[in-house]
Amino acid sequence: MIESIMEALQFDFMQHALLAGILVSFAAGIIGSLIVVNRMVFLAGGIAHTSYGGIGLAVYFGLPIFLGASLFAVGAALLIAALTLKKRHRMDTFIGLIWAVGMAIGVIFVDLTPGYNVDLMSYLFGSILAVSTSDIYFMVVLLVVILFIVTLRYRDILAVSYDSEYAGLRGVNVRFFYTLILILSALTVVIAIKVVGLILVIAMLTIPVYIAESLSKSLLSMMFISGTIATLFTLVGLWFSYTYDLTSGASIILVSALSLGLFLLIKKKVTS
Amino acid sequence: MNVIEIQNLSFAYEKEPVLEHINLIVEERDFLAIIGPNGGGKSTLLKLMLGINKAKEGSIKILGKDPKDSLREIGYVPQNTNVNTDFPIKVIEVVLMGHVDGKRPLFGYGKDEIACAMGALEQVGMQEYAQTKIGSLSGGQRQRVMIARALCAHPKILILDEPTSSIDITGQRNIYELLKVLNAHITIIVVSHDISVILEYANKAAHVNKTLSYHDISDKNSTFHTHGNDGHFCEIELLQMLGSESCNSCEEEQPQWRLKP
Repeated sequence: MIESIMEALQFDFMQHALLAGILVSFAAGIIGSLIVVNRMVFLAGGIAHTSYGGIGLAVYFGLPIFLGASLFAVGAALLIAALTLKKRHRMDTFIGLIWAVGMAIGVIFVDLTPGYNVDLMSYLFGSILAVSTSDIYFMVVLLVVILFIVTLRYRDILAVSYDSEYAGLRGVNVRFFYTLILILSALTVVIAIKVVGLILVIAMLTIPVYIAESLSKSLLSMMFISGTIATLFTLVGLWFSYTYDLTSGASIILVSALSLGLFLLIKKKVTS
Repeated sequence: MNVIEIQNLSFAYEKEPVLEHINLIVEERDFLAIIGPNGGGKSTLLKLMLGINKAKEGSIKILGKDPKDSLREIGYVPQNTNVNTDFPIKVIEVVLMGHVDGKRPLFGYGKDEIACAMGALEQVGMQEYAQTKIGSLSGGQRQRVMIARALCAHPKILILDEPTSSIDITGQRNIYELLKVLNAHITIIVVSHDISVILEYANKAAHVNKTLSYHDISDKNSTFHTHGNDGHFCEIELLQMLGSESCNSCEEEQPQWRLKP
């Protein structure tokens, strides 16, 4: 097994895949924790699918895919933030709407692009083996930004996530931090699309977090544990994908889901 | 000294008025009980005092200032402290949230802030649980932590919204005993359904149902009959006296309370 791993690592694309997997997993662990404790899972799913609109536009106008998807996803996040801060009870309707419209825009613009047949599947299910050097840079920058913000504004983010009404009474700018969490989620979703694809991104943002939640006493440790667990799942998933020639994103998610099942079984045994 | 002055206050979320012509004065070290039916506007009145909602008509002054400018003066214990119990957060972190933005270190919490939070936990008898996850506490313990969070900023007024709604009888007593101790230094306002318990501790009562009727009950033991030996005094009597006081100004629902027990 070790031999086959060493052999695989001789390829550039495998090194990139490994690096991207680790970077994205850590970002997903941190931001996934925020998404779960803020009950924004459906919202993150909406942003993930909406960002396909950005992919379509980027293809049509010949822009870098990451740039198009990021701008579009951040736009969707801002729109959702504005709508949900005003009409919270209508949130699910708005998200469903933005979700569908975003995907439709993506499909139409890819149709309109002459002579270009984009591989839709690679965005739906990820293409970690096709990560470029500039993709890696983008991921590094995003992870650094996330770490920077979460470290410096930890107590505000914690206060807004735990009890936003109270945080507001203590002088914390709730709207700002709520929007900030959404923007960081949008950007994380975009880089996670590269690894697991936009359909599976939600699993990556939630399964490790769900396991970490019962192992941690604070949000900080939850973020760290989720990041570590997510990395482990990604690496194991990648190994399966390479060895048995399976789609990488789906392999990572199935490894995660099976591990979650196992974890819940063990937890039940231990507590009973 | 008046810590809260409400004058001719009216409020509506949409068109239907929730509160009309409210007048209320809370004096220093009062223990005010706000009672009344569900949907009668109790919580709305609290939110107006806290500056979460803005009055459409009339004025509220907290220590002579607008509610928005008096965040520091008010400690608030919200309703429903049982939601979000899965949240991974330690007791001490919850209490630290009570600090109002001021001087703060680049990362994490200052030593003085932590000392202050521990002091607040000690006041409510929860210091040994500082590192415990909030979700593993009982309802009563969690309520104490929320009170500690409110005390963290050294408020002059403590406002509690249904503080004992999900706590067993002993736990309720303990909370009220704690509030009684705190009342030596702080003005306390409690919104509650458990009229029979709260009125043993409160010295003023306000009944809110769109309008407000107010009564000084500090001399309740001499004026009113008590039930048996436990010093409880009868709800009906209170409702009665509130009813009789306010029936000049308000209508329909009051007369039933004038029935003699």
